[in-house]
Amino acid sequence: MPKITINGQEVEVEEGSTVIEAYKKLDENIAHYCWHPGLSIAGVCRLCMVEVEGHPRLQIACNTTVQDGMVVNNNSEKVRDTVKWGLDFHLINHPLDCPICDQAGECGLQEQYMEYGKYDPEMAERKVKKRKVVDLGPTVVLDSERCILCSRCVRFTEEVTETNELGIFNRGDRSEIGTFKDKPLDNKYSLNTVDICPVGALTSKDFRFRQRVWYLKEADTICTGCSTGCSVKVYYNEEGAWRVKPRHNPDINGYWMCDEGRDVYKFVNKDVRLLTGLQRKDGQNQELPSVDAAKLAGTVVRDELEKDKNGVALVMTGQFTVEETQSLVGTFAGDLGCKQVYHWINNEDSFDSFDGLLLRGDRNPNTKGLEKVLNDQAINNTWADLKQKLESGAIKTLVVAAPENPSLFPDLDEKIALFSKVQNLVWLSAAKNEALDGLNTNVWQVPLKTFIEKSGTYVNFQGKEQPVKAVTTIIEDALTLTEVAGLLKGSDVNVTDEAQKMTSLKYNYFTQKRGNL
Amino acid sequence: MITETKLLSEHYDNPEFKGIEGYKKLGGYKVLGDALKMDKQKIIDEVKASGLRGRGGAGFPTGVKWGFLPKNDETRYLLCNADEGEPGTFKDRKMMERAPHQLIEGMIISAFAINSPKSYIYIRGEYDSCIEACEKAIEEAYKAGYLGKNILGSGFDHDMDVYRGAGAYICGEETGMISSLEGKKGQPKLKPPFPAVQGYLGKPTIVNNVETLAAVKYIIRDGADAYRKHGTEKSAGTKLFSVSGNVQDPKTVEVPLGMPLMDLIELCGGLKPGRKLKAVIPGGSSAPVLNVEDCAKAKMDYESLAELGSMLGSGAVIIIDDSNCMVDILATIMHFYHHESCGQCTPCREGTGWLNKIVHSIAKGDGRLQDIDLITKVAEHMMGRTICALSDAAALPATSFVSKFRDEFEFFVREGRSKVKGGLNA
Ligand SMILES: Cc1cc2nc3c(=O)[nH]c(=O)nc-3n(C[C@H](O)[C@H](O)[C@H](O)COP(=O)(O)O)c2cc1C
Ligand code: SF4
Ligand code: SF4
Ligand code: SF4
Ligand code: FES
Repeated sequence: MPKITINGQEVEVEEGSTVIEAYKKLDENIAHYCWHPGLSIAGVCRLCMVEVEGHPRLQIACNTTVQDGMVVNNNSEKVRDTVKWGLDFHLINHPLDCPICDQAGECGLQEQYMEYGKYDPEMAERKVKKRKVVDLGPTVVLDSERCILCSRCVRFTEEVTETNELGIFNRGDRSEIGTFKDKPLDNKYSLNTVDICPVGALTSKDFRFRQRVWYLKEADTICTGCSTGCSVKVYYNEEGAWRVKPRHNPDINGYWMCDEGRDVYKFVNKDVRLLTGLQRKDGQNQELPSVDAAKLAGTVVRDELEKDKNGVALVMTGQFTVEETQSLVGTFAGDLGCKQVYHWINNEDSFDSFDGLLLRGDRNPNTKGLEKVLNDQAINNTWADLKQKLESGAIKTLVVAAPENPSLFPDLDEKIALFSKVQNLVWLSAAKNEALDGLNTNVWQVPLKTFIEKSGTYVNFQGKEQPVKAVTTIIEDALTLTEVAGLLKGSDVNVTDEAQKMTSLKYNYFTQKRGNL
Repeated sequence: MITETKLLSEHYDNPEFKGIEGYKKLGGYKVLGDALKMDKQKIIDEVKASGLRGRGGAGFPTGVKWGFLPKNDETRYLLCNADEGEPGTFKDRKMMERAPHQLIEGMIISAFAINSPKSYIYIRGEYDSCIEACEKAIEEAYKAGYLGKNILGSGFDHDMDVYRGAGAYICGEETGMISSLEGKKGQPKLKPPFPAVQGYLGKPTIVNNVETLAAVKYIIRDGADAYRKHGTEKSAGTKLFSVSGNVQDPKTVEVPLGMPLMDLIELCGGLKPGRKLKAVIPGGSSAPVLNVEDCAKAKMDYESLAELGSMLGSGAVIIIDDSNCMVDILATIMHFYHHESCGQCTPCREGTGWLNKIVHSIAKGDGRLQDIDLITKVAEHMMGRTICALSDAAALPATSFVSKFRDEFEFFVREGRSKVKGGLNA
């Protein structure tokens, strides 16, 4: 492996690496806009300038292959001056939009300006005017004036999605990103363009104008939108979560995630959550603390088992952590001696499908984990068996560990209709579900925590175990499935929140409802 | 008396030379027959030995460039650069109009030498007459068996086509041309890889100018030594110059490299009576301008012009007399580069626009004194850091105009009007 000296530090890199990759390996600072590790090399921003010993001319680090013994720096006066000018070329026609720009606070231009800039602008003439609000498609809006023409977004649609919706139209400083006639930016990965846009040119319709990023905290977790389990970051504040972005993981998702996965944050926020325990008896709904609801449900389950050990069943989804699954399935199969445990597979027709990039038809984060737990307990009951027993009335009491993210279960209403044939339905779910309110059955609903409120492990489609940590607490009364399992079997459970609820750091004056384009 | 040395342009004035019959009567396609019997490497060696340097602008030794092709049997392409976009240049046009077969013969010989089965002549969109002439000549050459399969029984196959550009200057840059030829937006490609290794359709590709390829025919006809008799040690051969501007007889002339600039001006009828020479742009609008002192010393070859801080470029010599305002001329040049930058590289995209704005501000009487130094600063930071040389091509005239004619810029800023013309310019 070739060795190279960067700003005085020696580093060994792989044969064929570029100088910028060597900088990244050392975590040395190097300005760059067009280079992105997940895309081809464009070499257009000309910011990643380095001085290579023995070369009179500065080179771009992104298109220079490392050679053994190379001595490189980017901290000489010459390089710094060049980068400063390179930055100024980016800025002369850039609008003074920061106060109203969504990217402010995480903008490549702002960052490099703090490093290389802090000068008085020298251009006295008018800036080039371009279109400010260009509707590129269902998810993304373009502000052409802010665009620095790094071509990352174009390369993304060429190389990653191969959908080729974007292009650079016109020439010189009249160049603009755009779409072709009747071909909007509309693919399942379109929002990655917003992430890789180093400036505020591409904004997400879902997120724009809703939060100032410096009021948000971020935390690492994984996306629970499908069995791929992409590594992500969630951005949240005291009100809940606001957006999800991909985190690099070479083994699973590379640099990207799908647009649907970005919606997972929407299922953790208050407006769609079950806030307290609910009991529906004789057509009357009653709110009660979640622990009480779980305890009451536990009494019913144990009483019914006493009466008829085949009259109770548990339905599991692959939505929960391995630990939770083990605990609830173990409680049933072990403590309660009830082996009637069933696996609810959503969207059966497309369950095994794969779109070729990331998104899988199995819209559960932990199907593999659930299967293993069932296997360990030697449980392999068929859905047809459950259906028959529900229809015949053989099962009178049903406990359902229901989906956290109901939108991914297109068969939800149909399944509720089937489940409502029982006398007692125990519904464990993070999501509020109005369909349950009108049932003639007795229903106990217990609010659960979502994936960002608890720690645990998910096993993705590859069988990879992915531990996650609790990020924040949104619904204080919500429980984990493990806590519910304890309460159902009648144990005393000490309910705790692993993550503190985030309290307001500072009043956020910018919190807004989403506006028009 | 100063005279031309006509190798390439010998028969320009004979209308017969344009058609295949007339061309053959005057010795056409004989060299091709001889070349096809030669060893390919021998041809390349001969071109190397001749000292022929690219006539498109950069002056890179042609034989050396051919030597960069990988030594394998990958398909390779030969592209003739007939985009002729450099302001002031019109020599290729004349060759294609008057002597298309001479270009085609030079191309087939070159293609044979580098073992290329296919070549294109990439002609700028506005050149209707050239496109017509080349298409017709290619058709004639096919009919006569100089193109197609098994040319003259040699076993060598070669196809040739004309490709019409759309008039973008940047499509004259070799990788911009390749992008355009591939059906993409005409913008240069990042190097490395270089075209000789990965060019048109990802295959090894040689791009040469019209004049370069035509000269190959004469090198093979007369031999490298005979070719070297013209010109200087390092700038061998004859060169077609497009002389324009304030001379009495603007035209294309062919002279040995190394001819004094003042002789070239005389060859084109000298200046108009009563006018004095002020400046010369010796190699197309990208070449740094020469002032009168430079002109007196200037010889028209690669080295001499480089010593004066300028370049031979495409051989477009623009003569500027004392009736012109230098601010005005620079404004026009800056308008051109701003219009033609493809916009990929930030320093070029933004720099060309910025320079254009500053120079026009001055030319409108709105300039600030610091703008004059700003032109130089901006231009210096556009140089040597982009994908292609257009950025340098825009920066070089800017710095040279300001450094050599600073008084005119300062006058304009201070007085709000042209030192030469008195009034305001556009
Ligand atoms: C902006 C730009 C425009 C160019 N335009 C032309 C042109 O019109 N014709 C040409 O022959 N070369 C042009 N060149 C030079 C070509 O890139 C290339 O060097 C040349 O065609 C090589 O041929 P040669 O070696 O025979 O000179 C241009 C270069 C640049 C940077
Ligand atoms: S893109 Fe960056 S520099 Fe531009 S307006 Fe937005 S925050 Fe400011
Ligand atoms: S929109 Fe953003 S990603 Fe696309 S070219 Fe412009 S700055 Fe780059
Ligand atoms: S230097 Fe200018 S013309 Fe050349 S590739 Fe870069 S932006 Fe395009
Ligand atoms: S990062 Fe290297 S040129 Fe943009």
